[in-house]
Amino acid sequence: MAELALQARPKRKMIYVLRDFITKPENIILLLTVVILGFFTVYPVVLLVSNTLKVNIADLFYPELFGKKVGSFTTFHWKRMLFSDMSSTYFWVPLKNAVIMSLLASIIAILFGGVVAFLITRTDLKFKKFFSTVFIFPYIMPSWTIATFWINFFQNPKIGNFQSGMLYYITGITVPESFVYGLVPCAIVLGLHYAPFAYILIGGILRNMDANLEEAATILKATRAKIIRKITLPIVLPALMSTFLLVFSSSMSAYAVPQFLGGTGGFRVLTTTLKQFITNGWYGQGYIMAIFMIIFGLAILGVNQRVTGKRKNFTTVTGKSGQISYIKLGVWKWIAAVILIVMCSFCSFMPLVSFALESCTMIPGDYSTLTLKFWIDPGYPLQNGLHGLFHETQVWSAFRNSIVLSLSCSLIAGTVGILIGYAVSKRRGSRLAKAADNLAFLPYLMPSMAMGAAFLAIGAAMGLSKTMALLVLVGAIKYLPFASRSGINAMLQLSGEIEEAALIVNVPWWKRMLKIIFPIQKSTFISGYLLPFTSCMRELSLFTLLSSGSIYLMTTLLEYWQIWCSQSANALNLLIVVTVLVINLLVNKLTGASIDKGVGG
Amino acid sequence: MKKLVALVLVFALVCGFAFANAATEAVADTVEAKIAKGQTLSDAELLALAKEESGDFYAYGNSSRVANAMKGFIAKYGEELGLNENNAVGTKMNDAEIYSTITQEATGSSAKVASVVMIQDGAQLVMYRSASDMFLNYVPGAVAGVLDKGDVLPLVHQYINKLFIWNVLGDNVPVITNVWQLTEPGLKDRIFFKNPTTEQVNNNFLIMCTSDEWAKKLADAYKSYYGKDIQLGSYKNAGYKWVAEFLANVNFSVSSDTTICNTVASAESAGNMGLFVLSKTRDLDATLKANLQVGAFTEAQIDPFSGFMYPLYVQMTKAANRPYTAMLFINYLMTSEGFKPWGGAGTNILGAYSTNPAIGAAEGDQAIDFWKECLVAEDAAYIMQNRTVVSDFINAEIAKK
Repeated sequence: MAELALQARPKRKMIYVLRDFITKPENIILLLTVVILGFFTVYPVVLLVSNTLKVNIADLFYPELFGKKVGSFTTFHWKRMLFSDMSSTYFWVPLKNAVIMSLLASIIAILFGGVVAFLITRTDLKFKKFFSTVFIFPYIMPSWTIATFWINFFQNPKIGNFQSGMLYYITGITVPESFVYGLVPCAIVLGLHYAPFAYILIGGILRNMDANLEEAATILKATRAKIIRKITLPIVLPALMSTFLLVFSSSMSAYAVPQFLGGTGGFRVLTTTLKQFITNGWYGQGYIMAIFMIIFGLAILGVNQRVTGKRKNFTTVTGKSGQISYIKLGVWKWIAAVILIVMCSFCSFMPLVSFALESCTMIPGDYSTLTLKFWIDPGYPLQNGLHGLFHETQVWSAFRNSIVLSLSCSLIAGTVGILIGYAVSKRRGSRLAKAADNLAFLPYLMPSMAMGAAFLAIGAAMGLSKTMALLVLVGAIKYLPFASRSGINAMLQLSGEIEEAALIVNVPWWKRMLKIIFPIQKSTFISGYLLPFTSCMRELSLFTLLSSGSIYLMTTLLEYWQIWCSQSANALNLLIVVTVLVINLLVNKLTGASIDKGVGG
Repeated sequence: MKKLVALVLVFALVCGFAFANAATEAVADTVEAKIAKGQTLSDAELLALAKEESGDFYAYGNSSRVANAMKGFIAKYGEELGLNENNAVGTKMNDAEIYSTITQEATGSSAKVASVVMIQDGAQLVMYRSASDMFLNYVPGAVAGVLDKGDVLPLVHQYINKLFIWNVLGDNVPVITNVWQLTEPGLKDRIFFKNPTTEQVNNNFLIMCTSDEWAKKLADAYKSYYGKDIQLGSYKNAGYKWVAEFLANVNFSVSSDTTICNTVASAESAGNMGLFVLSKTRDLDATLKANLQVGAFTEAQIDPFSGFMYPLYVQMTKAANRPYTAMLFINYLMTSEGFKPWGGAGTNILGAYSTNPAIGAAEGDQAIDFWKECLVAEDAAYIMQNRTVVSDFINAEIAKK
């Protein structure tokens, strides 16, 4: 009897452990998070890999695959992409172009953003408040905004389609084609788009630096140049490296800018080639590019984690005096301010002016032919099947789709983010919490285009292709990192005592969340809902493969209209940019959150 | 006992009949069976069967004209079929989108399914038809006996041409009489042409130029223009050489034929030309139309071709939810009334030629036989055999630009 009782003890102990485990909501949340997110992050990659080893219908044109059955095994795609005589055209050259474009963009972003950060935080530059607000506009606006403006501004009758642009119309100056289409403009535009990001990261470090460090060097008669070289730069170096890696990674996975500015001939990068393959039904080769993009993205961000984790600890925030002494620029403070006003206007306001003007010209680039037809004409201004914007049902249908998609993604991502935040904070330090936290952040590391390709494979496998359900699924997962970071940050600020009184009187978990936790941290939680909403409204790379030909969003409709009606495309572009700016402003006013204050990228 | 055996036998017989009937009904219920039946029916008989169908009716096509054709169909039959512009929609999509959408709809998981598609690129259609059963062929009984044999399977609705057309303004008018002029330095970047990597019919045209037939004609044209035999160098034949040199000269900055037409016709485009769809000139006003000259309409013509021609196919889908309505729609498309959005006799829309010989060409245009003589036509079999090899060659040449 006693022996039987002893044998029963471990079993009963197991039961108690299990019961204890499943009665705690944080454990259920973590378990579900690990299982579901694990599935939706690992399974798409598995599908991607398996599809690179299958024959698709469009592949049957290849002599090597004549007579094969659709779905049969083949290593043909890998050999063709990496080792054939066409691998240079389809893979190595686009890869080289993407790397060079990203390198240049990173350098431009750091130089421009870093210099502006330094001028604002360490000098007596004029109009600092204005620059702080306006300088981040290019980052809030969709990435192709400056790209479209670049064409509108620099286009001239000697290149491209021989139409006039703003610069030529006003001054008669023409620029060469390589400055309007190709590597150089792609790098410059991406650099300008990510410069605000560099400004935020580097400016944050400079702002918190103790001025005593530099003052001590000044007292010891060190020159300004030496102070910057020996004190300021080493302190901001980790931020510089982190910015470089993040901008590099984001530029490598950029689709919209090289698509709009890549030109008509040879400049192709990984993302545009991937789109071409998928569009033509060559899924095997397209998915191979997606796999390499994921590997690059993970590797670069892994290096970034190492750099930011292993850096030397420069304590810059101390209990001592934090008074900053500004470098006196003298007359240069006005000159620098004027130069910055011109550059900020070019990147922030001029695009909107350009879109407005180009959407009102009967002949593109000719501002003597202004008309409001492309906005208000119920008929066909150009006889190309498109009404004026306000009468075009496609636009309002796409607007509705974008709102529905963004709302759905934000509701799912925001709610799951709060739950993950609660669970991770309650079980902080446990393996399950770490796994859930890492899995919730993983989608951020995957390039948007590659993630779109991965979910294209999932959609085909689960019968969800070209449905809103698939778009909502991929959007919710992609923007979950924003929401989970907000949720975790919010919950880590709360002490456990807040729930204790409610726990003692057996208040159910859901009531504690709704009545206690959410009201206290609602500002942070709401930003977890609104940041995915804003990001979703301006997203193109993630959805371009998934919604092709079926559900038009504002951004994919713009990509389509760009091809065949520049006036209508400019009108739509303006509508999208204004919508995103207004939403971001509202979010900022209501909660203090903003895209630029998110995790970046 | 005997009664029991009899009862069992009767029961088995009844079950057998019911099963056979269900199987027969199942066979009769398939779209294929309905097509086989529909091909023998008149419009009135099809209409009667279509009235019994329910659900939305969708058609996809490469051109916005499919939406106009749908409007005409609704005007004619909508009231009787319960169709209107909300539940009967013609949607414009490019070929790639049509194939991927139909593939997804064929899985049965889509709430919306198209019953009819109008699609270009015969080689890809033939490949899809042989590797899958997503597309089904229906030939209206009224025209089955009058169509050319080559236009029946898959059914060709019309032929469309893309021609060399130039702007006649200014002092530098590119008057083309031989296609080798298009490879000369003086025309670099002045020839607008939709990028073949995004426009499959353009790609198919370039593939056809490498065929033995057209390579020989190009070699002869070279000799006729330059007065000496062509030197191929590393090129396989004269077709490859022409394609490479043509691609080096073309301007891909405009991505739609409508915009190319508007661009070439504008007063600012003196000295420029394009290879684009003739029917896009339909939307130009008289002033802009007067700025254009179609090479094929000149006295000299262009040696050895004035452009190219490709078929627009019409197919039903296996997932069609309204097969009889689809057949009635296709019947309608093959009539002069249904063809009006694209052109035909009685219209001034050039550039589209119905395969129904009863529907003549538009005013001011030439009949289909004229175009078959002076344009490069698609050969689906040749394209299927050579598509990837020549496409790789084309992509490599474009990458050099």
